[in-house]
Formats: sequence, C-alpha cells, structure tokens
Amino acid sequence: MFNWLYAPLQAILNGLLTGALYALIGMGMALIFGVMRIVNFAHGAFLMMGMYATYVLFQATGVSPYYQFPFAGVLLFFVGYATYMGLLRRIRGQVDFMVILLTMGLALILVDGAQLVFGADYHQINIPLLSKNVSIGSEMSINAPWLVSFAIAMVLVCALYWVVTRTMFGRAARAIAQNPYAAPLMGIDVHRVQAIAFGIGSAVAGIAGALLLPVFYLFPEVGNQFKLKSFVMVVLGGMGSIQGAAIAGLVLGVVESLTSLYWGNEWALAVDFVLFILVLSLKPSGIFGSQRA
Amino acid sequence: MSLLEVKRVSKRFGGLKAINDVSFSVKPGEVTFIVGPNGAGKTTLFNLITSVFHADSGSIHFDGRDISHLTPNGAAEIGIGRTFQLVKPLRNLTVLENVMLGAFLRTSSPAKAEKEAAKVLRFLQMEKVLHLPARGMGLPTLKRLEIARALATQPKLILLDEVVAGLTTSEAMRLAVLLKRLPEWGISTIGGIEHVMQVVMRVADRVIVLDHGNLIAEGVPQDVVHRPEVIEAYLGSKYKEIAS
Amino acid sequence: MRKWQVSIAACFLIAALFVPLLVPTDYTLQILFRVFLFAALGLAWNLVGGYAGQLSLGHAAYFGVGAYGLALFSQLGISPWASVLLGVVLAIICAAMIGRVSFRLRGPYFALCTIAFAEVLRLVAKNLPSVTGGDVGVQVPLLFTQSTIRSFYWSGVLLTALAFALSAWIERSRFGYYLMAIREDQDTALSVGVNAARCKLWALLISAAITALGGALYASMFLFIVPDQVLAMDISTEIAIVAMLGGAGTLLGPLLGSVVLESAAEIFKNVFKEAHLLIYGVLIVLVVLFMPEGIVGTFTKKLGLYKKAPSAPFRAPLPSTTEEESQRIAVDE
Repeated sequence: MFNWLYAPLQAILNGLLTGALYALIGMGMALIFGVMRIVNFAHGAFLMMGMYATYVLFQATGVSPYYQFPFAGVLLFFVGYATYMGLLRRIRGQVDFMVILLTMGLALILVDGAQLVFGADYHQINIPLLSKNVSIGSEMSINAPWLVSFAIAMVLVCALYWVVTRTMFGRAARAIAQNPYAAPLMGIDVHRVQAIAFGIGSAVAGIAGALLLPVFYLFPEVGNQFKLKSFVMVVLGGMGSIQGAAIAGLVLGVVESLTSLYWGNEWALAVDFVLFILVLSLKPSGIFGSQRA
Repeated sequence: MSLLEVKRVSKRFGGLKAINDVSFSVKPGEVTFIVGPNGAGKTTLFNLITSVFHADSGSIHFDGRDISHLTPNGAAEIGIGRTFQLVKPLRNLTVLENVMLGAFLRTSSPAKAEKEAAKVLRFLQMEKVLHLPARGMGLPTLKRLEIARALATQPKLILLDEVVAGLTTSEAMRLAVLLKRLPEWGISTIGGIEHVMQVVMRVADRVIVLDHGNLIAEGVPQDVVHRPEVIEAYLGSKYKEIAS
Repeated sequence: MRKWQVSIAACFLIAALFVPLLVPTDYTLQILFRVFLFAALGLAWNLVGGYAGQLSLGHAAYFGVGAYGLALFSQLGISPWASVLLGVVLAIICAAMIGRVSFRLRGPYFALCTIAFAEVLRLVAKNLPSVTGGDVGVQVPLLFTQSTIRSFYWSGVLLTALAFALSAWIERSRFGYYLMAIREDQDTALSVGVNAARCKLWALLISAAITALGGALYASMFLFIVPDQVLAMDISTEIAIVAMLGGAGTLLGPLLGSVVLESAAEIFKNVFKEAHLLIYGVLIVLVVLFMPEGIVGTFTKKLGLYKKAPSAPFRAPLPSTTEEESQRIAVDE
C-alpha cells in the first residue's frame, strides 16, 4: 500500500542501510583509485572472493559473517598485496588503460575461477538474525542484518578515514599519489606503501562481501554491479576524498532506493550512471571537489 | 599601429594576483623582451595572450581584433605562435614531423607541409637532425624544435617562453643571433626571460620588466637595466642605492 | 613500411573473398565472419583509441544502436537496408552527444564515461520493453536472402576493407597527423592551431558509423538480439582488446589482433570448455604484461625498425611529471 509519507521515508532508511555498504566498497575504491590512481576493475571480483570465502567458512563452522568478516579482510589484503606486487607494479609507468585491461583480465580469471570451483548456481545462507526486524515507530522497520552491517560498515569507514588521514602510512600513500617522483626521494618505499594501500582497499572490498552474504544472493558475477558503482562513488565524491566516496555511497543508496520506489527496480542501476555522467559533465571534480586527499 | 595591445589586464588565481593591471603594446617587426624574476608572471601573461585562460579584467587586442576570449588553437590560427618553457616535443615523431604539425595549420597537403617544415628547420640550422626521432634529442635542439614548430604556423607574433633557459651562454647567444633575424620574416617577437641578460641586451628592441605581476619599467634595454626599481626587484633594496 | 602493410592487407582481403569457395562448412564461415567483423570493429576503434589515443570502452553503444536500428526501424515497415542506414545515422548522433561530454575528460575519466554511456543505453534497452522488447529481445530482419552465410562473410570482408581503406587514407592525411599529435600531447597540438575537440569528434563519428554497420550485420546474422548481447561491456572490451593486442595505432594491428584473438577464443571454447573465459583472462594479462604495444608494435620494436609516422606504433604516454598537470587529469579547460 503506497503511503505517501512513510513509503519514501522507509525507502530513505533502507537506502541509508544499503548505502553504508556501498560506502564501504566505495571507500576501498577511493583509496585505490582516488588516492593511488589505480583503475582497478577487479574490485568487484575481490568483493566476490570475500563473499565466497565467508560462505565457505560459514558452511564449515557455522560462524555468522558478522563475526568472521575479519578473515575475509585478511584474505583479501593478501590477495590485493600480491596483485599489486606481482602484477600492477610491473606496469606502473604505463597509461591507465593498461591497468584497466590488466585488472579486467584478472577479474575474468577470478570470476571464471569461482564458477569452476563453486558452479554458476546461486547460493544463499540463512542465519537467525535474518528473521528479526527492528521497528521504528508504527509504520517503518529495519531488517536486523542490515542494521548490523550498517554499524560495522560505519565503524570501518571511520577507521579507514583515520588510517588514511592520520597515520604516517596514509600520508605516505597520499604523497605518492601527489608526486610519484618526489615521494621516493623523501625516503618512501613507494611500491611497498602502494601494495599495502592496495591491500587495504581490497580487504575493505572483501569485508563488504562478507557483510553482504546474509542479505544477498551469491554467484560468480555478483561483484560486477559493485565494480562500476564504486567508480561512480569515487568520482561523485571527488578524487582523493575518502570521506567524499563514503558520503557518495550513502547518497547513491538513498537515490537508488527512491528510484526503485517511484520508477521500479530496473531503473535503480541506470540512475547510478546518469548521476555519474551528470557529475562528470557539470562538476568533474566531484561533489566534494577536492583533488587532493 | 600596434600589432598587440594589452590593456589593463589582470588575472588572479584564488588569492594570488598573478597579473595586476598590466598594459603594453608591441609593434610589427619589433623584438620585445619581458624580463622579471621567477614568479613575476611572464608565463601567465603568455597564457593570457594565447587564451590558455582568460583575463579577469582588461582586454587584449591583436591586429585590431579583441582576442580576450579565444581558444588556444584559435590564437594560433590568427597568427600567434608560442613555445613552452618546458619543451614538449611529440617524442615519437621525427624532428621534421614535429615541425610539420605546425605547418599543417596553413596547408592540408602533407607534401607542402613537409616542404615548409624543412624550410623552417634550415633557417634554424637543423638540417642534420631532420629525420631523427625527437625523443633522442638534446635540450638545445629541442628548444630550436619548439621555435621551428611555432614558426611553421607562419605567425605574425611569436611568444618565446624562457627560450634560452637551460642553454649555455654560447648556445644562448647563437640562438639569439637567429632570433634577431625573425623581423626579416615579418614576425614580431615577445620573449620571456629571467636572467640571461646578454641575450636581452643583444636582441631586444624594447624591454618590459615585470615584478610580482606588476609592470615596473619599460623602455630600451640599456636604459631599463639601470633603473633603481628594476635592480631592487632583482637584487633587493640593499642594491638600489648602488644604482643611483 | 606503410606500403608493406597496405599491400599485405590488400592481398589478404582479396584472398579472403575466395575462402567460401574452399571452405565447406557454414560453421567455419560463421567463425571467419566473426574474425572479419571484429577486424573491422577493431579498425574503427583504432581511429579513436589508437590514432587519437582516446581509449574508449563504450563502443558497444554504437554497435548496439546499429543492431537495434536495423531491428526497430524495419518494424516500422522500412526496408532492411534503409533501416541499417538509419541505424548508422542514429549511431552518429549518439557519438556526437557522447563525444561532446566525454572528450572533455582525460585519462581514466574518459574511459569510465564511455562505459557509463554504453551502460545507460543497455539499461534503457532493457527497461523499455514496449520499444525495444526489453530482455526478451527483438527480431531482426535478414539482410541477405540468398547464400546467407556466404553473404554475411563477404559483407564482413567488405566492411573490413572499407575500414582499412579509411584508416589508411586518414593515416597519411593532415587529419591523421592531427589525431596523433592530440594523442602525444594535446596541449602542444592546441598551441599550433589544432582544433582538438573537433578532430576527436570527427574520429569518433567515423568510428561510430563503421561500428554501427558491424552491429547491424551481426544482428542480422543472429536474427534476434537482446540488450545484454549487443550492448554489453564485453563487446566494448573485445573490440578494444582486438585492437590493442594487434597493435593500436597501426594499420595491420587490429586485423592481426582479430585473427589471433578470435581464433584463440574459438580454440579455447573447444579445448577448455568451461574454463575458456579464465584462459582468455590469462591471455589478456599476459598481453598487457609482456606485449603492451601489441603484436605489430612489439614486432617493430624488436626489429628496431623506426616506423615513419603516422604509422608509429602506439606508445603509452608517460605520466605527468608535475602536480599541476596531474591535477588537470579530469578535465580540459
């Protein structure tokens, strides 16, 4: 029943909850693309890996993803680190298109690999939390898992922001992005810092995958929709702005949710790209327009 | 009749006023040098004249037309050529092909462009390197390449930004001799230069001195160099007394 | 070196015309059609991506518009070939709009923007079933009623010949020089009077037209299209990889790239079956790591042949050295 006030409010609420996960994914990309200028088309595949890893662990131990997500994070950190050291480092001097192609190839390998190992079927898990709802007033409610993932995501978002802005490591990563030639002269071990940064960004994607598992279908191509979304968030938020990408994630969640409500689910995806094109045409430096981290 | 008239032009970037109420004019066939310490605004002025960006106030007229709001390629089309402080050759092409790019502005035939480019390169005494790739060339050659490319567009006015920076004094003087001949081709020149004063003295008909975006002196080289304001701008006020 | 490339290609294409007389199976001809189709698409992409250095990942947009143009216009009663033409016109209009927005952007922003436009088109096609048939798809008329597979094959060869001839002509014209100057250093090109925006746009319009023609042919051969088939990012990527694998910015590159890639893809499908995408991914990674200039480019480098421009192989532009330059990544003033 379409209720003119509560329906959009609920949609906004749901949008914020989804948006928190988007924000997490977007921040990971903001670190990789916004700060390091690496166009990582395997970001979605990393999310998928985190999701499958959590699934396997859940099937084996029964531990809820909301407790075991750090494992996905650690796993993807190493995957990311290895990807940088083994592959990306070799083409660092080249034009971005090469990085896009390389990471696309990597994504293909990971996605098809997942299909070979796990099959193309959709998987789902069931945890008791799924059936719990939290009521807000008399007209609105939140599905509990989303609330939990929102909380975890927000904590991680803040933690990531702190790492990038307040630690030496974060400063080193930003320094490299701003001037890759001067940074090593300042004693920064460029490749190690970038590998770690890439690892962190990938870990975040993996954790997002873990958090998604209870509320989403799992299948090899699950990461694809998030891949392009994360670029949209980084551009919307402004290159180099970690917090911008996070806020953009929340915005995207809400906009998608409202679009779903009024125009149907199919257009929700399209709205991401339309927003993207609009921002690129009108204010390419992003809503939070800073070109420096 | 001036070729270029810069009238009360100002440009600021955020809080910094890069060019402040600058006016001057250049006559056809004249060699003018804009002199000033680092950061004085020479490149900004060049960028304004070639419409890389636009002035906040004031106007620029070229050949009688208001050119305050063109595009960089538009400026080249109406006859303003320029070189850049950081040489930007097209590395994967040969020297000749680089210059052909400039020549293509006035002809669409590759054969004619090649001829015109070769002619310009001969003027600049670069026959030996015509068919070598630009990426292997040394700085003096690349500087000449910049000039050649701009000359190939058959400009009426050419802006040379720090054209002798990085060259040894003898290389600079050799280039200066060539530059002095540009008026023969009907080209007015504005050079931007920081400190290779011998070139200025040798080549310039007129000198304009910029300091922190302000025009502080204008006139014949021999005269301007002795003015107290100019010495102060370069060396500080301690040396001002020495001059007077 | 350039004359060599043109002669080799010409001989190859002429020989290709006789292939249907030697090859008995329709299946093989279909594969060969795909080889030539993607050679043509690669050559078309090469104008924008290779010569002008604007690496588009959204060419599926024009491919799809060509395909849907044929399908939808003919539903209105217009003859199939006229529909193809209308589809091409529509693609050119799309290219004009997409170009206007995208070409102001540099580097990865440009690529991402092209992806966004193609995705928007795909989603529009999916979500307007009343117009496009949505995910269910739409029928496409047959363009050739006789010797069908052979005719498609020959049209593929002809399209490739057209694309090749255009590329060869552009390469040695002022336009071609300008495109390469824009690729190497757009600011320098501007300073000598090159109207970069206009040049890039023209390259895109020509590229889009050929791509749309390819899309129409492809659609007609399958007789039925869905958005996820003709507007998918996979098509865009395949086109770009064909050109880059062969050697972007060269004449023979896309041709060679298509022969190698499409044959490899076919072999992988038969040998590796389920894992064929994985092997394809490995191939892409290996090419990027070890042959970034593509077959023709690497070949030229190894032989130490300096190729006289405009045939100079695609070389990745060096990253900006100054912060100021890299800050201007996003947008041209």
